[in-house]
Amino acid sequence: MSPLDVPLDNFLTLAAVLFAIGFYGVLARRSAIQILIAVELMLAAVTINLVAFSAYRDQDQFTGIVFAIFVITVAAAEIALALGIVLRIFRERGTANVDEADTLKW
Amino acid sequence: MLNRLPLPAQMDRVIVIGGMLAILVATPVVGVLIALLVLDQITAPELVFWMVAGLIVAGALGAVLLSNLVHAALSLVGALIGVAGIYLLLGSEFLALVQLLVYGGGVTILLLFGVMLTRAADDPVVADGSQKPFALIIATLIGGIFVGAVLDATWSDAGASVVSIEDLGVRLFRDFGVPFEVASLVLLVALIGAIAIARSDDADDDADPTGEEEAAS
Repeated sequence: MSPLDVPLDNFLTLAAVLFAIGFYGVLARRSAIQILIAVELMLAAVTINLVAFSAYRDQDQFTGIVFAIFVITVAAAEIALALGIVLRIFRERGTANVDEADTLKW
Repeated sequence: MLNRLPLPAQMDRVIVIGGMLAILVATPVVGVLIALLVLDQITAPELVFWMVAGLIVAGALGAVLLSNLVHAALSLVGALIGVAGIYLLLGSEFLALVQLLVYGGGVTILLLFGVMLTRAADDPVVADGSQKPFALIIATLIGGIFVGAVLDATWSDAGASVVSIEDLGVRLFRDFGVPFEVASLVLLVALIGAIAIARSDDADDDADPTGEEEAAS
């Protein structure tokens, strides 16, 4: 097919910006669900990187796309398990904020 | 519990004001981009890229900045749909469809259920932690380093090509068969584990601080 006119740099920069936004969310947010949302953004940024490199540098093998599928699979498993843990913590402690679940903190 | 939920009139106001703001911001941007396209300053794929990138960054900023959990989760949907658009632009149609199904459908619904089942349903507004300034500094540094590294490197663009689902299936099941099976096992274990962790023991129901009985009655 015809090569794209968009430079690879554009995709990588977008992924870097998205990763930084997600990173900020993970550090700044208090609710565990907000942190999960930010983690999803970081995973999406990594997947964009994989797919972009796969499309531009690895047309015959597209390993990046295969790995993107695995990332999406693991992300789905992670969100289900994490929400189960969040619900459990909420039931035990009455809060879903990560700074209030501090039993392991000395 | 119910009277603390946002009233329909308030929800309408949020949606109307948010929509008007989005249109106000988006219209000149799209207009400038189309003008550049007409003037041959940018190509059509670049126009699509900038529009989708704007959607992604706006959605991501909303997802980490809005203090209302429901609004943040819905903002995340916008960002993830934009990511599906990026996959389409990169020629992997299958991945775009999977992205829409898994994230637009499953993950978002799971997150909204998480919001509903925790106290967030009573009071969906959670203030950010006290480490916000440090988070801003570190995230800016990391983003700056990454963007700088990307712009510093030079790639010889070979150009993207559309990946057919057939080729992808052959590659996935022939060369990555074992990882595929492991991934399915991971999914199974994670789902069973989520059920095992989240299910309520009968003995715990008396000490339940969530007041589920009140909500149910």
